[in-house]
Amino acid sequence: MMEEDVYAIALQNALNEMRNTCPDMQHAFIFKETGEIVAGDAETPQKVIVRVLDAFNGIFNRAKAIGGIEAVTLKCGGGTVTLHSFGEHHLVMVTSANADLNYINTLTRVLIPTVLKLLEKISPTPLKNISAPSPSQTPKPITIPTPTPPVEEKETLEEPVEEELKTETPSFEPPATQLIVENIGGLLVPSDTVRVDNETLAQWENMFEGKKIEYVEIETFDGKTTKCKVKPIKDSKYLGKGIVQIPEKMQLTLEIKKGELVRVKPIIE
Amino acid sequence: MTKKKKTLEEAAAAEALTQPIAIETATTEDLKTRLEEIKGYEGVIGYILRNATSAAIDLKDPTKLIEYAILSASALDAAEELSELFSLGEFENIIVEGKDTKILSLTIGENRISIFLEKNADIEKPLKKLRTF
Repeated sequence: MMEEDVYAIALQNALNEMRNTCPDMQHAFIFKETGEIVAGDAETPQKVIVRVLDAFNGIFNRAKAIGGIEAVTLKCGGGTVTLHSFGEHHLVMVTSANADLNYINTLTRVLIPTVLKLLEKISPTPLKNISAPSPSQTPKPITIPTPTPPVEEKETLEEPVEEELKTETPSFEPPATQLIVENIGGLLVPSDTVRVDNETLAQWENMFEGKKIEYVEIETFDGKTTKCKVKPIKDSKYLGKGIVQIPEKMQLTLEIKKGELVRVKPIIE
Repeated sequence: MTKKKKTLEEAAAAEALTQPIAIETATTEDLKTRLEEIKGYEGVIGYILRNATSAAIDLKDPTKLIEYAILSASALDAAEELSELFSLGEFENIIVEGKDTKILSLTIGENRISIFLEKNADIEKPLKKLRTF
């Protein structure tokens, strides 16, 4: 579920960016071979999308003769409908007659496969697939970083001081979860605290035999890491979306921004 | 005299009735000629020309005839459906690009045309040839 959310949000963001860049793009949505709509715009009614899928279905069903579908372009007096296939994902766009199709097609053929490849590469390990260690496992001493919350920018990027701790903590590497960066709104936002879905926190706590997760490590795909406090997300609209809310200052430090993916790992004291 | 006049009128009426058919036939014949010329372009594999009364098919690999015919018909049906769905106005053409082959389908009058090309073939040249119709 979480994995699907990450895909959907990342693709939705990519589509939104494309539509911002190309105002002539009237409709855009992505669907999978199974017919599942992964991302789309709010302006296209569901029943229209279903009819579009139905129309393309006839072509897909008979495309074996030409080695499968890579693209379909329908030109009409008032605009163009294009379909691009990227593996199991298909992007449908409707553009106005004035649209620069070369530009849009180039953008599409670069952006969407890049996002999909990136998602495949960093495909999150679904939490539901990670089994908690059985109680019979003998706990071994492990080396864990001291969870020092960041205060200053420079400090946050310094290598953590590590110390040997003999602890009862289960002997497995805490799972890293890929989450999408979201801003934290409001005044007096603590700069050393990120917010993660309650469900994710609960799953981490279950994995660690009920220990409260107070700190997490955030790692960017450029390799920058920081440790910080973690609290549950307050805003209900972000629940179950695979989001991590990060203060703006911390985003600057990590050189990330809203919509990007980061790895978030719980730290057990 | 009256009989002669009547015969002339009948002949004129008959001519008027047959004229559209003659034009349509001429159009189809002209299209066939153009498609034969297009078939000689680099990368063109073949074509299908269909209307309510006849069909002309020329494919380098006849074993794929049925598959290509069904696919191109599906593409034209999808084109009609999609242009109506998004109110895109008059349908011009639909290009279906596969991993090995691509298909250009369009309608001219009552004629449904599909041209089959190799993946990297130039699609503009045959389109230009048919646009002047």
